[in-house]
Amino acid sequence: MAQPRISAYLPPDIDPTKAALAFGRRALPKLNEELQSPELLTQQRALVALCDLVHDPEKVYQAVALGFLDSLKALLVHEDQTVRQKTTEVLSVMALHSIGREGLIRRGVISALAGLLDDPADICRRNTHQVFDMLARLPEGAGGVLQAGLIPPLVLKLETELDEIQELILGTLSNCLRVEVSGALAAGAVPVLKEKLSHPSTAIRSKAAWVLLEISSHAEGKIAVFEEEVIPVLLSLLEDTRPEVQVNSAGALMFALVTPQGRSSALGAEAIPPLLTLVAEETSKARLNAIKALTLLAELPRGRQTLQEHRDTFQRCLLDPSEAVQRAAEIAIAVIDWKP
Amino acid sequence: MEPTMGPVQAAADGPYSYSSQPRSLPPRPKYREQSHAAETEKVRYGNIMIDPRVVRGNVLSTRPPPPQSTEPLTLEVKRQRKAQKHTPARRLTQEQIRPGTPEPVEGRVHVHVQTELYLEEISDRIIEVDGECQTDEFLDRPPTPLFIPAKSGKDVATQIEKGELFDFDIEVKPILEVLVGKTVEQALLEVMEEEELSQLWSHQRAFAELRNAEFAELQRLEEQDRRIREEKERRRLEHLEKLRKQKETAEKIAARAFAQRYLADLIPSVFNNLHDSGFFYDPIERDIETEFLPWLMSEVEEELQKKVLGRTMLDSLIRMVVEKRLDEFSRPPPAAQTKAPADEPGATDAAPKTSGEEDAVDQPVAEEEETDQPGAEE
Repeated sequence: MAQPRISAYLPPDIDPTKAALAFGRRALPKLNEELQSPELLTQQRALVALCDLVHDPEKVYQAVALGFLDSLKALLVHEDQTVRQKTTEVLSVMALHSIGREGLIRRGVISALAGLLDDPADICRRNTHQVFDMLARLPEGAGGVLQAGLIPPLVLKLETELDEIQELILGTLSNCLRVEVSGALAAGAVPVLKEKLSHPSTAIRSKAAWVLLEISSHAEGKIAVFEEEVIPVLLSLLEDTRPEVQVNSAGALMFALVTPQGRSSALGAEAIPPLLTLVAEETSKARLNAIKALTLLAELPRGRQTLQEHRDTFQRCLLDPSEAVQRAAEIAIAVIDWKP
Repeated sequence: MEPTMGPVQAAADGPYSYSSQPRSLPPRPKYREQSHAAETEKVRYGNIMIDPRVVRGNVLSTRPPPPQSTEPLTLEVKRQRKAQKHTPARRLTQEQIRPGTPEPVEGRVHVHVQTELYLEEISDRIIEVDGECQTDEFLDRPPTPLFIPAKSGKDVATQIEKGELFDFDIEVKPILEVLVGKTVEQALLEVMEEEELSQLWSHQRAFAELRNAEFAELQRLEEQDRRIREEKERRRLEHLEKLRKQKETAEKIAARAFAQRYLADLIPSVFNNLHDSGFFYDPIERDIETEFLPWLMSEVEEELQKKVLGRTMLDSLIRMVVEKRLDEFSRPPPAAQTKAPADEPGATDAAPKTSGEEDAVDQPVAEEEETDQPGAEE
């Protein structure tokens, strides 16, 4: 009898783990129905197919409009690990698109993902933190993460998680703490970060320094940073071999030295020489931050005295191509020359 | 089919014969009342096989007339009747067929004997043999054997050689294009995504750096401003303090001067007052005043009192004498001696009375003296 199938064997390169996609516009609605089916295999195959589709921004838009996020939220608490892993992967890819981010924030996916922080599977947690990281770069996303009360658990997780997840957590924290810092301080973030500053991995050190920068841009953060004696550690990081670490630690110092106590402790710890070396390097990215930090130190009489000898370093900075550096150098020179 | 009951009657003489058209008998009514109903209803035919009125078995021998009674035909009764039928049946048959065999002589018994050539076993009972027959178990119908009709016609064969239907390389191109195209499209999308993201992040980072730098500058200036303000505030407070102290000092001085002037003639007036109220006294004068003069006065008083006392004593003496004389002169003659003791007690009463009066007079005088003296001593 004639059959539409030519042979009993499936074609050799068909993927049995993916669901068959319907044509055109019908693909996503059909996947949505399959996601809600009670059978495990159907759900898994639908998720794998969805992972591939969601790289396309148009499909993301359609998915958000169809209400995929609600079915995905329901699948986040599924007991099968593959389902959870694929769901978090889909969400992390969706978070790479702006439409996806907005949709995720509006649908309150953040609080649904909060439950996955303790998931036994590493991949699920990694994807979850990726989503948080992406979302936190938006101001509404950072606000959402703060509102969901995720900062204390994230700080706790910093101590126990794997390295690559720690990088994601640090990224999330840095973006959230730009907005509000009291929750993190209450959860004891500064000691943890101080530890991370001496981590062997470069990325973690630079990100930890970035988080400290954000913390010390707030007033209570500055006090906490001074009390935990992070400033000496930051000064030691200025001599680190990697430029990113130098940039971030110089930035953190730039904020932490605003308080008088911070300034005096920094002067006591001999902060000026490393900062000067950073300024002297022509191609250093940390120049701007270092100049700012030195400006702060120059307001103290002892600092001013020391820096008057190095005035020509700042003169050279005036020739820097970046405009911000030039302005900073001018201000620095003005402060050094000020007579009471 | 109505049974016609038309018995044909033969002549009155001769053997009796009766004939009627054959009819089937209705079944015996079970209940008595049924007879009325049976007439109106259609005639039912009874089953001839189980009709007890039909003769069964051996019809050659006579049998007793069928019982008319309605006694229950139990199995025992039936068996008994059957047993009865067997034994008399043989005798009756023989009697009818061969009339009048004389009775056996005494001591002899008639015996039936067969005299034919071939002996026959005579029995009423017919030899019965039970025979069974049963069909075999039903078997499934066996499958029909394949019907292969006989071959007729010619044999012809054909074969498709390689490359005759289609050319693989040409045909596979569109399929491959689609497959590869889809894969590449997907890959491009992902790469585009990542590029877009990295661009965004680099923009963001640059912006963040600038923002942080500006923010730091802002904070520095804020801090400076705060310090300057604090300093100003402190100095202002100090200045205010200074002014306040100055004012206070000036007031103090003014107050002091005024107080001095006011109190300048305080001392003289005070002294005057005291002097006036007698706090500054000459001790000797005082002494003389307080002690000497009272003493003098008291001594003078005493002297005077003594004189007064003397005078009083004298007065009292005179009085006493005068009274006594009066008494004596006023007394009647000794006849009135009884009265005399009465008078005498009267006189003696009067005398102590007067002496009492005098004492009383003395007492206030003495009291007066006493009061005078402490009064003077004061």
